[in-house]
Amino acid sequence: MDVLESPPEARPAVVTGGPRRRRRGSGRLTPYLLSLPTLVVLAGLLAFPLVRMTMLSFQRLTLRDLFTGAAPQWAGFANYTTVLSDGFFWTVVLRTIVVAAICVAVSVLAGLLIALLMHRVSGWVRLAMMVAMMLVWALPQLVATQVFTWLVDTDWGVLNWMLDKLPGVDFSNHSWFVDPVQGWGVIIALVVWGAVPFLAISLYAGLSQVPKELVEAATVDGAGAWQTLRRIKLPILSPLIVVVTTLSVIWDMGLFTQVYIARASKPELDYYSLAVYAYQEAFARSNYSGGSAIAILTVLLVLGVMAFYVRQMFRIGEAD
Amino acid sequence: MKRRIAVAAAVAATLLASAGCGSGGGSNSGSSNPLDGKGKTLKVYLMVDAQSSWKEVVDAASAKFTQDTGAQVTVEYQQWANHLTKLDATLAGNDVPDVIELGNTEASKYVFNGAFADLTGKLSTFDNSGSWLTGLSAPCQSDGKTYCVPYYAGARVLIYRTDLFQQANIKPPTSYDELVAAATKLQQAHASDPKFSAFYMPGKYWYAAMAWVYGAGGQIAKQDGGKWVGTLEQPAAEQGLQKWADLAKQFSKGDPTKDENDQDAVYGQGESAMLYGNGWEVGAVQSQHKDPNDPNSAMVDTKVKDKVAAIPLPGFTAGQGMPTFLGGSILGVAAKSSKKDLAAEWVKDFTSTTSQDALLAKGVLPNATTLLDQAAAVKGSEATALAAKNSWFVPNAPKWADVEKGNVLQQMLVDIVTGKKSVDEAAKVADAAIASTLNG
Repeated sequence: MDVLESPPEARPAVVTGGPRRRRRGSGRLTPYLLSLPTLVVLAGLLAFPLVRMTMLSFQRLTLRDLFTGAAPQWAGFANYTTVLSDGFFWTVVLRTIVVAAICVAVSVLAGLLIALLMHRVSGWVRLAMMVAMMLVWALPQLVATQVFTWLVDTDWGVLNWMLDKLPGVDFSNHSWFVDPVQGWGVIIALVVWGAVPFLAISLYAGLSQVPKELVEAATVDGAGAWQTLRRIKLPILSPLIVVVTTLSVIWDMGLFTQVYIARASKPELDYYSLAVYAYQEAFARSNYSGGSAIAILTVLLVLGVMAFYVRQMFRIGEAD
Repeated sequence: MKRRIAVAAAVAATLLASAGCGSGGGSNSGSSNPLDGKGKTLKVYLMVDAQSSWKEVVDAASAKFTQDTGAQVTVEYQQWANHLTKLDATLAGNDVPDVIELGNTEASKYVFNGAFADLTGKLSTFDNSGSWLTGLSAPCQSDGKTYCVPYYAGARVLIYRTDLFQQANIKPPTSYDELVAAATKLQQAHASDPKFSAFYMPGKYWYAAMAWVYGAGGQIAKQDGGKWVGTLEQPAAEQGLQKWADLAKQFSKGDPTKDENDQDAVYGQGESAMLYGNGWEVGAVQSQHKDPNDPNSAMVDTKVKDKVAAIPLPGFTAGQGMPTFLGGSILGVAAKSSKKDLAAEWVKDFTSTTSQDALLAKGVLPNATTLLDQAAAVKGSEATALAAKNSWFVPNAPKWADVEKGNVLQQMLVDIVTGKKSVDEAAKVADAAIASTLNG
């Protein structure tokens, strides 16, 4: 940022021969040259796929086009009208938002509580917590999902076995995914479990930035733990909370791996999230264009939800 | 964001590849003899079954091919789960495999959409091409031309526990009523065991449920004036679905939302009396890899070792078996391959009578009716070969594979078995989805 904002004119010109104008010109180009590699990577990995996907959502690409290399037909807004007029799409939109809201709320709250706890415990307990959470964090989503699926397996799952040990409870051969509420409960638990380490460690780092003098002063003035938290720690932490919440919203709105793997890559309609829906349309039903339209709509939806947070972030930036 | 972009990137990667192709159609110009393969390497995609059960048959065919043509062969073994997604992306590019194995229900999607080379001219060079099983060869045909070659077949049979039947003093059932009576008796005899399934039937096992549909005289879909119509809501089909659901609900204690992928492992635990499975599953329930994720790990006996036998599943009409789904695989030559003649030659070697005879010994069914009697003589294949004589097949529609991958039938079955929808409601929803997918 600094490099871009400092006007090139303000820099001392190097005078070792050669026309001055060319020097000035290359000086102006330097920031762009330096950021070029990043821009190329971003363009290749982000912009190009997005542009292609947007184009695709306005086309009608068939399997035959795909196999033979023929150019697909343009379809105007047909894909969008089909998707938007389908009641099932709106069911999935609502479900995605509700699930994401629960995941974000629970994981951020749990992360904050664990961060506060880490602040209070002794050094070696904190270290043990850190290590445990790092391990969770290091576990790929795919593996974590497999593990959870096994825990709740109907025939051999340890969860059913344990619940069954309780007197008067019959959980033998209980299927957790028959009732979508229970099934989503399992998936949400998995998402939260995977998200907490990042949130807790980030927020703990944030908490350690709270000046001790402030807390001490507040304590001397007779503030309790709750008041210290509400009036001192949380306000200082709030920029960080906004950032991690934004990230969580982005991650949880795009929920895919956990659902797809937990449902053995054959998700029932009750388990469609927007990302799963887009994937199934494109790759299971070979409706590449319809799938792209759903993906684009998901991007727009997430951008809409995020606009609020981004504004908050800018506001915080201005205040600083 | 990362996850959503991964999906986006996958879509885009597929497209990217598709944009770059179009010049892939190859010929063997440059060498006078199209079968002179010196310095060339053929790339073959086979499914994992060939690797785990009959790798030596593959190697023998490749050795003969190399001797005849001088070309080398690389075989890449594929997993069934999601293999079409990978294949679609591969076929959209230029570097395609020369020979591709597909399940016979998946074939028509590729045949109708121009992914395979026309093999009509070479038809007579393939062994037994005059007597191929229709369930395998029909999906290979479009407009009177042949685009792929039958590889092997499989039929499903009733696998049962001989020891449990003896204990309960039951004979193997010869009619559907006897089957239900046997299951009832077995379930009562093991009433104290909450995990005991008299008939293990996963809720998403559509190959099984559709056998009940065809057995009752119904069908999945039919063509009506150029349009496909789902016919699962017809009375006969619904009757079959109802009987299947009754059986699954009453006698199966497994997860109603599971598919049949791990049914051999479940059955091997010794908690089930009957199972509907492929002929080769008779072996698979008795002996399994110590580490299921490692195909090279040692085989270990399960709890049902030497306690199982197989018979054709009895049907609703006395003396007639339940029509079995004729599963199997086909081999196609990619339309974009630059070595089509060599590829066809390898397919010829791999589907020769010699190769088929070697496959029969592994407990699968041959690709031709002329070899079926031979198969019936192989110990362990008697029931399968008998069952295969009365078979059904999925609608031969270009987009049928999308109905399968879109989980249309699985969704219907789970809705029925878990009681979320009545048979009639679920069948109507499925019919609508089938029609929109096949005609879309």
